[in-house]
Amino acid sequence: MHHKEKHAFEPKIIAFVCTWCTYAGADLAGTSRMQYPANVRVLKFPCTGRIDPVFILKAFQQGADGVLVSGCHPGDCHYIAGNFHARRRFAAFRKLLEFVGVDLGRLQFSWVSAAEGGKWVEMVTDLTERVRGMGPMREFKELGLEEQWSGAIDTPELREAYDSI
Amino acid sequence: MTNTIDTSIYAAVTEAIQGEVRRILSEGSVSAVVGYAAARRKGSAQPIVITDAARAEELVFSAACVNNLAVYLTKAKKEIPKTGKIGIVVKGCDLKALVGLMGESQLKREDLYLIGVPCAGVLASTAQPSQELTGDTIAPKCRECDARLPAGCDFVPDQRPVSIELAGKYSAEIARLEAMTPAERWAYWKEQFKKCIKCYACRQVCPFCFCEQCLCDRNKPQMVETTPRPAGNTAWHIVRAMHLAGRCAGCAECERVCPMDIPLNLLNRKMAKELKELYDYEAGFEVREKGPLAMYDEKDDQSFIK
Ligand code: SF4
Ligand code: SF4
Ligand code: SF4
Repeated sequence: MHHKEKHAFEPKIIAFVCTWCTYAGADLAGTSRMQYPANVRVLKFPCTGRIDPVFILKAFQQGADGVLVSGCHPGDCHYIAGNFHARRRFAAFRKLLEFVGVDLGRLQFSWVSAAEGGKWVEMVTDLTERVRGMGPMREFKELGLEEQWSGAIDTPELREAYDSI
Repeated sequence: MTNTIDTSIYAAVTEAIQGEVRRILSEGSVSAVVGYAAARRKGSAQPIVITDAARAEELVFSAACVNNLAVYLTKAKKEIPKTGKIGIVVKGCDLKALVGLMGESQLKREDLYLIGVPCAGVLASTAQPSQELTGDTIAPKCRECDARLPAGCDFVPDQRPVSIELAGKYSAEIARLEAMTPAERWAYWKEQFKKCIKCYACRQVCPFCFCEQCLCDRNKPQMVETTPRPAGNTAWHIVRAMHLAGRCAGCAECERVCPMDIPLNLLNRKMAKELKELYDYEAGFEVREKGPLAMYDEKDDQSFIK
């Protein structure tokens, strides 16, 4: 039983990619008939600079078990500096997610060029396998299931105020 | 109590502020002054805007002057800056917010007359306004203050605050959380975030939340659920901390006004700490055109990118 359940888990991986490099790289992997896990859903963006951290949050909330963000190598950005800006934003965002308790193993950033079909396959395979080992991302899903406001009005100040009435 | 903090300079500071404001208003070099006045409850203070030199005597400075008045000069409150050059009473921590706003082109230095306050500290939100300032009643931000004497103001009273040594609460709490496992941290923040009632007081009081339309209010597409329930709350707090990263002045107003006692500043201060480590950037000391997340260096760390 337990054994079966374990194998029933297929991680959902959301990949946010830029159209100029990584998307073309993924396309190359496809047209070259390279095999990679079917767990990844690709979302194409004009640039990594357009990938707002809130998208990653939303992906986790909507059921992603892992997220891949990938764009052009430094120096190759179609818009010159979009990926440099993204790099800083994501460096900061990782720290924030870590501080609120998200295991960063579920989030991978990479640079994959239009010629790197093989690297795309490697990135997707690695993340999928890692997340498979980690199991489902429960945290955000559980929050979503908590339909009622918990109403945890139990601060010491309020307690004292209530008690004094 | 032994850990009493000396606030005896505040009487002289009040007098100096009144004199200066009387002068600048009567000679007409400013059109209005944003400061503090006594409020109804004994010992308490509230923000006030005066335009008449005769009313300068209403101004006060005391340990109850907790508000960051910079919020009155942001885009969201357009009427005030429009009237001409504005005088404003600022504590060092509040000045950092003004400096940040100047960097973000929300305010111009030449439109402001800065009246800096030599500051020994203000009361925590949990203290009564008439209480004495002590190591127990002082606001947590004042324990780790590095701006007791605001720099670069047009006028600062001569008094000097007696500095006191108090252990930092935010730094200790951040270290405590950092030592936890991710699951423990998640559990901690889940408890905190689920208290949120989405009143947005934290947003209204923050000088840096001046967007005319907040991402969190948009519904096409809706990026952050607006409900006061755990999922939307968590997203709200993460988005808020991210949008303030590299900008937050650390005035702790958000935390002070939160009716649910959510330790919002732990997130802001953690991000400030990380950005200092990553990009050697500290907000609020000098007017800079761009914050750390609005610029880049080709040599930035990318060890986290494969
Ligand atoms: S943080 Fe510093 S400047 Fe601000 S109120 Fe406290 S002591 Fe004064
Ligand atoms: S986030 Fe809080 S501490 Fe930072 S500037 Fe805004 S109100 Fe002040
Ligand atoms: S002030 Fe507190 S309760 Fe209100 S929205 Fe902000 S965090 Fe939530």
